Amino acid sequence: MKAYFIRRLFYLVPIIVGISLITFLLFRVVGGDPVDRVAGRYATSAQKAELRHQFGFDKPLWPPVGKLLKGDLKGFADNQLFRHFADTFTFRFGRSEQYKRKISDMIKDGVLPSLSLTVPAFIIGIFLQITIAVFCAFKQGSRFDRVVVVLSVIGMSLPYLALIIFGQAYLAGKLKWFPIYGYPEGIGLGVIPFVALPVLLGVVAGLGAGVRFYRTVILDETRADYVRTARAKGVGETGVMFGHVLKNAMIPIITQVVVVIPFLFLGSLLLERFFSIPGLGYMLIDAVNSSDWPVINALTFVGALIYLGALLLTDLCYALVDPRVTLK
Amino acid sequence: MVRRAALASKIRGLDPQDIGDTTSSAVGAQIFETLYTYSYLERPYQLIPLLAEEMPVISEDGRKYTIRIKEGVFFADEPSFPGGRGRELTAEDFIFAWKRMADLNNRSTNYPAIFQGYVVGLDEFREYTATTPDVDYDRPVEGLRAPDPSTIEITLNKPHNFLLYWLAHLPTAPVAREVVESYGKDVVNHPVGTGPFRLVGNYRSNQFSMVRNENFREVRYPARASPELRERGLLKDAGRRIPFIHRIEWSIIEEAQPLWLAFMAGELDSSGIPKDNFPQVINRDKELTPEMKAKEIDLIKAEDPSIFYYGFNMDDPVVGKNRPLRQAMSLAFDRETYIETFLNGRGHVPIGPIPPMITGHRPDKRNPYTGYDPAEARRLLKEAEEIQGGAIPELKLAMPGTDTTVRQMGEFFRLQMRGIGLKVEVDYMTWPRFQDATKTRSHQLFALGWLADYPDAQNFLLLFYGPNRSPGPNACNYDNPQFNALYEDAVAIPELAGRIPLYHKMEDIVIEDCPWLLTVYRVGYALYYEWLRNYYPNDFANGTIKYQRVETDLRESILRKREEKR
Repeated sequence: MKAYFIRRLFYLVPIIVGISLITFLLFRVVGGDPVDRVAGRYATSAQKAELRHQFGFDKPLWPPVGKLLKGDLKGFADNQLFRHFADTFTFRFGRSEQYKRKISDMIKDGVLPSLSLTVPAFIIGIFLQITIAVFCAFKQGSRFDRVVVVLSVIGMSLPYLALIIFGQAYLAGKLKWFPIYGYPEGIGLGVIPFVALPVLLGVVAGLGAGVRFYRTVILDETRADYVRTARAKGVGETGVMFGHVLKNAMIPIITQVVVVIPFLFLGSLLLERFFSIPGLGYMLIDAVNSSDWPVINALTFVGALIYLGALLLTDLCYALVDPRVTLK
Repeated sequence: MVRRAALASKIRGLDPQDIGDTTSSAVGAQIFETLYTYSYLERPYQLIPLLAEEMPVISEDGRKYTIRIKEGVFFADEPSFPGGRGRELTAEDFIFAWKRMADLNNRSTNYPAIFQGYVVGLDEFREYTATTPDVDYDRPVEGLRAPDPSTIEITLNKPHNFLLYWLAHLPTAPVAREVVESYGKDVVNHPVGTGPFRLVGNYRSNQFSMVRNENFREVRYPARASPELRERGLLKDAGRRIPFIHRIEWSIIEEAQPLWLAFMAGELDSSGIPKDNFPQVINRDKELTPEMKAKEIDLIKAEDPSIFYYGFNMDDPVVGKNRPLRQAMSLAFDRETYIETFLNGRGHVPIGPIPPMITGHRPDKRNPYTGYDPAEARRLLKEAEEIQGGAIPELKLAMPGTDTTVRQMGEFFRLQMRGIGLKVEVDYMTWPRFQDATKTRSHQLFALGWLADYPDAQNFLLLFYGPNRSPGPNACNYDNPQFNALYEDAVAIPELAGRIPLYHKMEDIVIEDCPWLLTVYRVGYALYYEWLRNYYPNDFANGTIKYQRVETDLRESILRKREEKR
């Protein structure tokens, strides 16, 4: 497993370079001119050219091969792509162009509010989804199962935005069970009243699709030969479900669960906006809309790293839960 | 006494030299002050001294400004000062701030508009800052001198008749050098000014507070107001010491629903009206509904100093060379329906590029091309086709955004033009892509707006001055020698009264040439609870919360009664 792990880490290198190159291509080559945002609305072309020079945006985008052929290594290295690689791979993300803040501070400040919202919603959501799915599978065809399936389909059909608007207007605005909006400074128990409603809405929003998915996964397993064998050997229904079915259903469950983890760090755009939670949810979209290139680069790179890490973790988990999977 | 206020977007930063967005300005203006400001309750807007002792002494050739600053003005307490006590403001603080604005390392967007080309030696200082990240702020600038701690002397290369407006603009606010040097680039997170309030906590979170600046000098509530504002009872506190408010609690609420719910719950003192809630708040006569009045809510309607339009790229071979086509399209656009559909009627059909609240606006002027007259539009279109030498080809409209409202506006425009037989394809662009296409003059038609920086018509007419063509602010690339000559003559006249006749001539030229299809003069509707006193919008003055007062007992009584009714 160790050799597999090391090999996978090496495989990540070209992927990370590729991601960084694609980000560069998208926003520096085909995206807007970053100087426009900085120059202000009265700037003339001469003033913009002056700024372009000052920021180094007048340097060549690509390494000038001609200089390499002439042996001018310094000239070859002096280009925007190499500077981008050097800054990105050493995590020197710099400052946001529009907020003038260190991007590392922005991520640090935003990640905890985002996680305080997404992690409870994720854990409670997964727990409820799997628990309800197990009961449905256990009591397949019962009135409970039929009602849950109908409610799940209704839940899946309900637009997320409509659920948030209704939940906020009714539960917070009308019944006053929760604060309408807000988030206290710092992280502590004081955040609980403020994240309670967004978490509830996040859980409800994911419930329908989750229950349907896990119910199907578990039912697929209950029809397998080994389950029939277990029953023939006299194993009780509870033993079949928890000792055999659930264990074997773990592969698709892990795939579904681990792949979601990177997105927990990036927050929830709608919930954060509607409840004024200062998380990372809106940061990337805000940066794209404002051509805030350093923020786009940082979030894409960090997001990609977390995602690749999660994929690696998924593979490792497969080996842990299923003895048939070996990592070579 | 607590003032509860909401902001519609995040604060970009509170470094005054770099402030450029309305949210940061609204917050920063409570902390920082400028040499001049606008009278809170007088209309038309009038410049008055704020940190300056009086209006400046200007030399006869208009090139030298001598400004005396008030004595006894102190910065708010801050650990960067010796003993943590804010020190007295001096003339050097202004000069330091203006050099900071010129410093390219600070990436301020405000320098080109305010000082570039005007102050002797400041452009050279700016060039010098491009050569080093460690700028020497002791390096003298010939045009900026402080002969004594209370006097600023500004020497200009040429007269700058709009300089006083800019000296009322937040980016020219003074900052203390020791605070800037103490925090370095992080000074953006540590705003310290001479204004009535100081920040407590982290303004980067979505809720933060300000408290009274204990060092704020003795300032009194104004005693002058325009008759209509006097009638609203806005002079009742005249002569009383301000600020009244002890604490401001700011909330950043970006979505309309939570903003509205919070306002209706009494958690905010004032609010705008979200589009979807408009019918429940405002009746057909554009007044408050009885239900709102019963909740002790009041309404203020005030015209915005802004203009919105569809621009024609005058470099384009089809629309740029065909005046009857532009006039026909303008007459084919039903502005009243547009205003009712997209703004709930919160606006007026525009007359010209100089909007209301700007000196030089002519409410009685008639624009022959902003009415809705499809028959006349079709007649003009025939003329346009003769110029074109055949049918007008399909036109392309660029819209700055991809959200639903922008798409609806684009579709509305397309249908209006189809009404006279013109085909329009609409391209919905992200803002950076739209900006790029504007800069490279690639649009044929485009939608845009302009919000005034100061209440002088020149701030709108500069959008048609030839040398300001893209990538400058003249996005429609209008370049008319007659207009340009009038513009140059007008900006050379020191007194506003002398400029106005020329402004009118320029406006007449633009109305006839139609480089813009004007859409709306917007009217702002603001709601506030009766417990909030002295509240009135002022689009140009800085830091107006210092004039406001909250009747805490009244607030509690209204909310208690409401709770009992539930």
